[in-house]
Amino acid sequence: MIEKKQQITNKLGLHARAAAKLSHLANMFSADIYLIYNDDKVNAKSLLGILTLAASVGNEITLQAAGSDEQEAIRAIGELFDRKFDEES
Amino acid sequence: MRRVTGKAVSPGIVMGRALLHNITREVVLAEPIAEKGVEREIWRLDNAVKKSRAQLKKIHLGLQKIMGKDAAFIIEAQHMLLTDSQLLDEIKGTIAGKLVKAEWAIQAVEKKYLEIFRTIPDLSFKAKSNDISDALNRVLANLKKGPAGRLAPVAAAVPLEQFILIADDITPSEAATLMSSKRLLGLVLNKGGETSHTAILARTLGIPAILDTGNATELIASGDTVALDSVSGEVVISPTPEAAVEIGRKIEKFGLYREQLKALSRLPELTRDQHPFHLYANIELPFESEVVQSYGAKGIGLFRTEFLYLDSKMSISEEEQCLIYKKIAQNIYPHPLVIRTYDLGRDKSDPARPRREENPSLGLMAVRLFLKEREPFKIQIKAVMRANTSGNIRILFPMVTEIEEVRAIREIMAEAKRELQRAGTHPRKDVKVGIMLEIPAAVGLIRHLGDAVDFFSVGSNDLIQYLLAVDRNNADVAHLFSPFHPAFLHILREIRSEADRAGKEVTVCGEMAGQRLPALMLLGLGFAHFSMNALAIAEIKKMFTRIDYSRLRRIVAHLKHLGSRTEIEAYLRAELEKAYPGVLNSPNS
Repeated sequence: MIEKKQQITNKLGLHARAAAKLSHLANMFSADIYLIYNDDKVNAKSLLGILTLAASVGNEITLQAAGSDEQEAIRAIGELFDRKFDEES
Repeated sequence: MRRVTGKAVSPGIVMGRALLHNITREVVLAEPIAEKGVEREIWRLDNAVKKSRAQLKKIHLGLQKIMGKDAAFIIEAQHMLLTDSQLLDEIKGTIAGKLVKAEWAIQAVEKKYLEIFRTIPDLSFKAKSNDISDALNRVLANLKKGPAGRLAPVAAAVPLEQFILIADDITPSEAATLMSSKRLLGLVLNKGGETSHTAILARTLGIPAILDTGNATELIASGDTVALDSVSGEVVISPTPEAAVEIGRKIEKFGLYREQLKALSRLPELTRDQHPFHLYANIELPFESEVVQSYGAKGIGLFRTEFLYLDSKMSISEEEQCLIYKKIAQNIYPHPLVIRTYDLGRDKSDPARPRREENPSLGLMAVRLFLKEREPFKIQIKAVMRANTSGNIRILFPMVTEIEEVRAIREIMAEAKRELQRAGTHPRKDVKVGIMLEIPAAVGLIRHLGDAVDFFSVGSNDLIQYLLAVDRNNADVAHLFSPFHPAFLHILREIRSEADRAGKEVTVCGEMAGQRLPALMLLGLGFAHFSMNALAIAEIKKMFTRIDYSRLRRIVAHLKHLGSRTEIEAYLRAELEKAYPGVLNSPNS
């Protein structure tokens, strides 16, 4: 299992569309992937789960992945965050 | 005469009969079930969810074409919710854990999430709770036997007459269904803000709407005459004769204003130096054919037919299809209608896929699939041929890679024609036949096809994808997907020269045809036929009429000396900005 801290930098935070992109991406990996924010831990493959986190810009969340492709999963998801979910160019 | 005011979100003025839409949700009691009933409840739930997903998919497909990806996301999000394992597992867990019926479990889980979302201050999350309710309501409706959705009462209550809908609030999917029905003249809601999905839908479809009135449903009764002025944000209930005359005058004035907007669509399709071009619309649902001409389309360059097949569970008859095609062809007459045969089997979730494949986009799809399973294909071909009574229908085959496929298609067509002639239902005119150029290999066939093919259509998205080996939906490589790649430019030139040599017409119908910079590049390369999302037509037309073809051609000719996509894009942008300042700026940005 690996973990990575990730800053939310896009203005809108984990709103619907960003959450949709995130869960879509997470579903491409076989590893179990979780997002941890405050005391909540949600499945990154669930759109609904991500939405209930209500994390916004400036917050730091923890990505956690466990499985054969955990490295790739964390890297790809981290990049999605870093790219601000392709919302701001 | 009384008045109600609210927020005008979609400009327009109409007068008509009110229809009050009362949504009262049924109260579901916690009927206990026996332990052995759990399996059945879960089965019922799964079925209802599956049905709901299929319905949302259909609405989504329709919306995406008329409104673009962004607006259609409303429905896509609901579709995603209904594939969300957390949500579904929780509902199933409630059924099994509390021994209750699926209906009760759904409401319990919905309540929990609405509670969570209520505590989130952000507005976009509030909109989210609407989506959850809307999606789950759809499942509830589908749990009931028969076709009784929540909208059924409205549809049943209204004859073929147009109406102004008065409601407390409507859900995004209800709005989509209602607004595409053509019977909705206007919309007045108690609730709904500026950013609501309903407002976006209304604006795009040009349906006047006043939202946020607070109490419209208390003041207006079904059958009342109401005038809706969504320029000023006022609803007049049972107007006096004098007021009605005044409103009539306003309607006329607004009509004139609309005319001016439409004037652009009537301008000749010529560049500033009189070089001709032609703009067509891509459509997915039949009713779109009734509106595309008002956006300036001179024909339908691509009618995607997949929904007919999926929607009917793959059993649509020749007769039914023929009627649909005929209607669209008549709507668009004398302009052409290009019908593309089923382009299916290309992604993993596709119900038309016969079996699992490692690489669906390199597998048994589109024409390949239907040359193997000929029956539905032949039915479609026959329906298209038979529908061509007005002579403006063309047929287009997707994903062709070799001449053997064209020959096989031609054989099926000849067989179909014989059968129709025997039945006496073959019209005098043959349909023109085209193939899509969307796999690079097809470009090499142009010179060998002779008269087996009458026209070509470039599917730029797929052509780029297959040429550059890039899946643009894959976030890791999407940045490599570019219409400015030198190899893609090269293949476009080749298409142009090969088709010219063969004396055949080429239409570009991918996304790039409706995007400013790529569209100008195509025009400069010598392409003259463009098919795109109807909403993009006015903008592209305005741009094309402003430029000189000869000058554009010189600018584009220089691109062959550049070897990188970034250089090509930058050069093109800079030169065009220099020659025609502001030509690339969208008026909306």
